[in-house]
Amino acid sequence: MGDREEISKQFLGTFEFQGIKRRDFLKFCGATAALLGLSESFIPKIAAAIEKASKRPPVVWLNFASDSGCTEALIKATYPNAADLVLDILSVDYNETIMAAAGKQAEEILQNSKKAGDYILIVEGGVPTKKGHGMIAGKEMLDILKEFSGPAVAILAVGSCATFGGVPAAKPNPSQIIGVTEALKKVGVKKAVVNLDLCPVNVEYLVAVVVNYLLLGKLPELDSFGRPKMFYGQTIHENCERRANFDAGRFVETFGSNEEALGYCLYKMGCKGPMTYSACPKVMYNDRISWCVKSGGPCIGCAEHGWPDKFAGFYERLPDVKLPGIQATADKIGAVAGVATAVGIAAHAIATKSSGRGKGEKEGGNK
Amino acid sequence: MANELKYEWSLALRAEHWVRVIAIAALVFTGFYIHWPFISGSAESAVMSWMKFFHSVAAYALVLGLVVRVYLAFNSAFDRDWKDFSITKNLKDLPDMLAYYLFVNDTHKDYRKYNPLQAFAYLLIAVLIIFTTFTGAALYKGNAFGFINAQESFRWVNAMLGGESYTRIWHFLSMWVFIIFLGAHMYMGLIWSVVHKDKTFSSIFTGYKLKKKF
Ligand code: SF4
Ligand code: SF4
Repeated sequence: MGDREEISKQFLGTFEFQGIKRRDFLKFCGATAALLGLSESFIPKIAAAIEKASKRPPVVWLNFASDSGCTEALIKATYPNAADLVLDILSVDYNETIMAAAGKQAEEILQNSKKAGDYILIVEGGVPTKKGHGMIAGKEMLDILKEFSGPAVAILAVGSCATFGGVPAAKPNPSQIIGVTEALKKVGVKKAVVNLDLCPVNVEYLVAVVVNYLLLGKLPELDSFGRPKMFYGQTIHENCERRANFDAGRFVETFGSNEEALGYCLYKMGCKGPMTYSACPKVMYNDRISWCVKSGGPCIGCAEHGWPDKFAGFYERLPDVKLPGIQATADKIGAVAGVATAVGIAAHAIATKSSGRGKGEKEGGNK
Repeated sequence: MANELKYEWSLALRAEHWVRVIAIAALVFTGFYIHWPFISGSAESAVMSWMKFFHSVAAYALVLGLVVRVYLAFNSAFDRDWKDFSITKNLKDLPDMLAYYLFVNDTHKDYRKYNPLQAFAYLLIAVLIIFTTFTGAALYKGNAFGFINAQESFRWVNAMLGGESYTRIWHFLSMWVFIIFLGAHMYMGLIWSVVHKDKTFSSIFTGYKLKKKF
């Protein structure tokens, strides 16, 4: 407990000024510790790290091809929570969507951040690679990304769009939109990117990664898609609150049915939970109020690379198979193959009979 | 031309064959259930859990059966038949056999145990077992054989096929190849027994088949 006193009165004073109680602040630190898989003893350290950070490590938030849903998720939090805290602590020097400055003034701020360097670069939105399809202030988005990735201490791609292209990159993708990792590879920047796949990003993931960085000075361990293992290590299905119903074989067959009212498993309604890696059931959305399956909708797999193309249709068990010129479901392929086999066998049987094959042969053995 | 009863399939070969039959039947049935659960259960029934359990057990049987079969092909005291699966040799003989099946020719050459089409089909099944094993393992969340962390060790399969939802599709489609094979396989066995009366069908129970005497 003594440790907690270390959080300076003055620091807490600033929060109280903003309407955040000391208790709320410690609660936030506790929640973040849990999220990071750290024990309670880390709470004061987290508080201290955030306090230190009140020296304001700058954040540059770039917006590319997206609907700004991630920014929305960040600022729509209901009470002074994680997002507000960190947004206030970190100085988000540049975020087109929420900053007051505009035009030339905004450009100036951005250039100043670049000169100062050592900022955390957060990218929202996919990167159009077709010339002229995505420009800000006369500059190609791809060039802007290249320009600002250099001086950054850490790069975070938030939301499906920034990580893999997301909805803007869905077929036919006329602007040839790609994710940040691929875009950086394209322009020859070799830097690790933390991918926070989800549509929109879970603010708690974002905050936890930033706090983790402030605390330990390094990025979390990433999986093969560049996603933090601590959030993307298990499938939705493994932690789903409806899992008992799945195991028992109790499924919703149609929406509006009694089974739906009973909260049965959404597997047959196309739930992609079994193939989607994310901690949604544990972390949830909107201050842990709810998440997709809890609210009654199947998981559509937004935490995965290749979403949405590889996960459509959202209400079907398996995505469609796209072969050149053909689009079919796995079941249709199976049915066609099955019928073709039956026809082939029947044809051969008839041919065998009509050709009179085997007539001359007699059963016999060596007696 | 006299025929004689010949001991074609050793007990080990027949046993492996039937283990494989039971395993495939169980895998197809439980697989269809996991793909589209057609029976609803109650809390106590845990029907999906059981289906998944039997699916995994049958998968082990299928894989281990293949291991045994490959071992026998090289080390069997009864018949080391690995040479029968030689791709080059069978490719050369393939036109002869195809001509027979398509009613172009009325006879075909005599083959030792497997005709070239058979050899290819059985080789394909071996490859298919390996393929379903890998895709299946990539979808498995437990420890294969108790010590291989399937999720970690087979992640590359998912990466190669374009993600877990695609692994699922491939795993599902490969089941259809098994089903098609089974259809053709049983038809061939039956028609040989009925038309040529060489006891092909019963040979996989008894081990004995009628063969031309040389
Ligand atoms: S609702 Fe989806 S994630 Fe939850 S148990 Fe059913 S299939 Fe799994
Ligand atoms: S539950 Fe599925 S669809 Fe919903 S946010 Fe998580 S990954 Fe996306």
